[in-house]
Amino acid sequence: MANLQKRGLTTAVICSGPFLKLGQAQARVFGVPELPLLVIPHPLGGIAIDQVKARAEHALPLFAKLLKEKTQ
Amino acid sequence: MSNLAQMLQTAGSSIEADDDFDAINALMREKGWSDGLPIVPPTEARVAAMLAYCDRPFDQPIAKIAPRWGEATPLRLAANAVMAGCQPRYFPLYMLAIEAMCEEPLNLYGVQATTHLCAPLVIVNGPVARELDINCGHNAFGPGHQANASIGRAIRLALVNIGGAIPALGDMSTFGSPAKYSYLVAENEAESPWQPLHVDRGFPAEASAVTVIGAECPHNVNDHESLDGEGVLMTIAGTMGIAGSNDIYYQAQPLVIMGPEHAKAVAASFSKDDARRFLQQHAHLTVSKLSRDNIERRVRVTFKDRLANPRPDDLIYAVQRPEDLLIAVIGGAGKHSAFVPTFGATLPVTRALKTVDGRLAKSVEDFRRG
Repeated sequence: MANLQKRGLTTAVICSGPFLKLGQAQARVFGVPELPLLVIPHPLGGIAIDQVKARAEHALPLFAKLLKEKTQ
Repeated sequence: MSNLAQMLQTAGSSIEADDDFDAINALMREKGWSDGLPIVPPTEARVAAMLAYCDRPFDQPIAKIAPRWGEATPLRLAANAVMAGCQPRYFPLYMLAIEAMCEEPLNLYGVQATTHLCAPLVIVNGPVARELDINCGHNAFGPGHQANASIGRAIRLALVNIGGAIPALGDMSTFGSPAKYSYLVAENEAESPWQPLHVDRGFPAEASAVTVIGAECPHNVNDHESLDGEGVLMTIAGTMGIAGSNDIYYQAQPLVIMGPEHAKAVAASFSKDDARRFLQQHAHLTVSKLSRDNIERRVRVTFKDRLANPRPDDLIYAVQRPEDLLIAVIGGAGKHSAFVPTFGATLPVTRALKTVDGRLAKSVEDFRRG
C-alpha cells in the first residue's frame, strides 16, 4: 500500500476504529505519513453479510471523496 | 563501530538521568520503555559489560523488529538485556533469538500486531543451554531461573522498545498473555528418548540452536492412567482438536511438549516420526463441533477441495501433515504433556549459534572480546 502511494496512485487503507493508531504508525514507518486511513465501524469479524455491506457503504463515499480531491 | 564511549557521544544515543533507581525507573515508565516491572538501569558500564560478549559491530543492525521495523543493533539490544536483568554471558544467545524471530517465515509483524494472544516462544537446544543453566526441567516455563526469566524478558523489552509492540498501538492483542513477559525454555535433552528438536530441524547435534514459534501458552495434557504409549498419544491427540484454534485453518506447525515420563512411555513403542504420524491422524475434531457460520464462512472456503459440502462427522485436523508437528521433551517428573497452539499464520524458525566468521559456537566464551 505504501509503495502504491509512493508511485502516486490514489491509495487508502480502510480500517476500523481500534486499529487507526496502528495504521497511522505503520504509515509513518513506511514513509507515507499522509496515507489516507478511512475509518469504518468496528468490528469486521463476526458480523452478518448485511453488516459487511453496511461497512462497505460507509467506506465508499469516503473513498469517492478522496478520489475527487485527488483528481481536482 | 565497536567503541562504546565514542558511540555514546552521538546525539540521541544515550539519556542523562539522576543516579537514583526510582527516578530512573520513573523515567523509563514515562518513556514507555517498560514491561511494567522495574528495570535494571542500563548504565554505560553495564552495557559495556554486556557488549563484551558481542563479536559484531555494535552499531550494525542484526535485524529489524516489526511492527516499527526498528533496527536491532547490538548496542540497543545490550541496553535491553541489562534492563531485563541478563548476565553478560547470555548476550550471544539473546542476539540469536532476536535474529531468528525476525526471519520472514515467523511473520513477526503478524505475531506482534495481531489480536491473537501469541508470543514468540524460544526453545534452546545444545551445549549452550547447559552452559547458561537454562531450565529444561521442573518449572521450565517459570518461575525460578535467571536465564529463562531474564533472556525471555529481554526479548519482550526489545519487541516493545525497538519493535514498537506497544499495547493497543503496535500490539493489538485482545488479551495479551503471561507469555509476553518471558517465554524461553530449553529442551530436556538428557531425559529425552529421542533426538533433540534442533536435530529434527536439520542442525547437527553439537550445534547450539534456538527454535522460535509464534505460540500460545502451553495447554496441559494430564494422563495419569494410560499404561502404554498409544494411550498417552490418544490423550494428547484428544487435547489438540480445538474448535477455537487458529491452527485448524492454516497449514500450521504447532508444538507438542512431552514431559519426560510421557515421552519414555511413548518411545517404548513409537519412534518420534511414528508418534508424529499417530498424532496427525488422531488429532482432529468433527465438523459438528463448529458453529454453523464457521462451517459456512470458513470451513467451506478454507477446505474447498475436501469439505465444500461437509457432513457433521467429517474431520478437521489439528495438523495437516505429520511433518508439520514439532515435538520436544521438556519438564520434570509427572504424568503431563502440553499442547502449544500457534498464531497459525506463522512458521517456526530454527537458527544455530555461530560466531561472526560463520563457525558453530561451542561456548558463549567464543564471543568474548579481548
